[in-house]
Amino acid sequence: MGVNWVGLGTIVRRDVQRMLRVPIQVFIAPWSSALLFIFVFGYVLGGTMRTIGGHKYIEFVMPGVLMMNIITAAFLQSSSAIYFSRFIRFVEEMLVAPLSYMEMVVGSLTTVVVRATVTGVGILILGLGFGATTIESWPLFIFWIVAVSVIFGLAGILIGLWSKSFEQLNMPVVFFLTPLSMLGGSFFTMKMLPDWLHWMLWANPFFYFINGIRGAMIGVDEAPQGLSIALTLLMIAALGGLVWRLFSRGYGLRE
Amino acid sequence: MATPALKITNLRKVYRRGNVAVEDLSLTVEEGDFFGFLGPNGAGKSTTIHCVTGIANPTSGTIEIFGLDAVKNYREARRLVGLCPQEFNVDPFAKPADIVSWAGGYFGMRAAERKSRVNYLMERFELTPHLKKSFRELSGGLKRRVVLARALVHDPKLIILDEPTAGVDVELRRVLWNYLTEINQDGRTILLTSHYLEEVERLCRDIAIVARGRIVREGTKDEMAGTPGSLEHAYLVATGAEPDHVAGQ
Repeated sequence: MGVNWVGLGTIVRRDVQRMLRVPIQVFIAPWSSALLFIFVFGYVLGGTMRTIGGHKYIEFVMPGVLMMNIITAAFLQSSSAIYFSRFIRFVEEMLVAPLSYMEMVVGSLTTVVVRATVTGVGILILGLGFGATTIESWPLFIFWIVAVSVIFGLAGILIGLWSKSFEQLNMPVVFFLTPLSMLGGSFFTMKMLPDWLHWMLWANPFFYFINGIRGAMIGVDEAPQGLSIALTLLMIAALGGLVWRLFSRGYGLRE
Repeated sequence: MATPALKITNLRKVYRRGNVAVEDLSLTVEEGDFFGFLGPNGAGKSTTIHCVTGIANPTSGTIEIFGLDAVKNYREARRLVGLCPQEFNVDPFAKPADIVSWAGGYFGMRAAERKSRVNYLMERFELTPHLKKSFRELSGGLKRRVVLARALVHDPKLIILDEPTAGVDVELRRVLWNYLTEINQDGRTILLTSHYLEEVERLCRDIAIVARGRIVREGTKDEMAGTPGSLEHAYLVATGAEPDHVAGQ
């Protein structure tokens, strides 16, 4: 049986239309936050900070800022879309239609990638406009935006399926996304940490995402790109497998 | 012999916490029928409908829609069914035409076909003056029309209406009755659940009564309700209520 392309396209169109209902929350908020980072780290504190690998501190920080916003955008897009559709029960519109689970997941992830890419490219344009960043490798830059948004899109789907309240829906942002982003090397290098704390970065998956996109933007890597890419693809496979398993059981969707 | 529009065989549905909602339910709805599916609250009507339409996974048993297995051949089977659910399971911030158009898209309707069908349904259900409002801004009756239009967008052969006139005023109820009669005469098969027995008496030709997850009585309307008002008696007897006792309350 072939793919229901019209159905798949409708899922994406519907989610994009929903996203555009709240442009301030979806796009203006992350762009404003990036502007504040550029102002504080680029102009207010910029002169007092040392350079890292020959780059100004704001150039070092910008990839981390961009990655934090991509992670948040991807996670919130899929988790809230799934949870809200379950909560209001309009997920039933799709359940009664000739759509496969794969089409539902791919449709949801496509919107995640659209949102994360628009968010990321907006921040990149701001960074380039204010001289706060550069791009060393476009292919790697695009890879990191797409790969990380897929990871957190999948994670968001899992949380959206599992959550039974808005409190549960927001828990991962408070307890995982924000702390792991902050501690994943967004604002500091491994060398700034004492040796005994280096494990904190090696054990933090966010470190590889931030390291990866920093390599793509300013060419500074603390971990080999190959390792970061391999771990990222492994995470996509693991999370994708888990989402597929839950969907095929109808977990959180079908009674 | 013609393939039935809907054939349910030994359907059983047990929810995760062990609650048995449907127990060994078998039912056949012939093509072109206007079929009444009656029963008290919690009898298993909605669960049966959910299993037929894909909202719930059956625990055991088979469901065939025009001869197609509703689980194994779900894509082909679901294209033939339109569901108007009991509750408003709709994005409250979306506009009526979008809601109906999205549903058409899920069913694989291309843009041009979808557009003309949505325009027709907006006109037919007098929703055109309300196109700029979001679903949450509509009155109860208008919301019901949107949900019905959504069920009909892909022109299904089997239409399942789960209490479609609950909370609807007399005027709209009559509009809906006329429309349902019209599309049934056009050859569509309709399965209707309702607590309004006069509605069932007026519209349906065949009736099944379900109680405690099982079919407790099935037959033609004439068999069950030879004289006006006697459907209520048949219903109360079949579901185990005491007609005189209830009437005396």
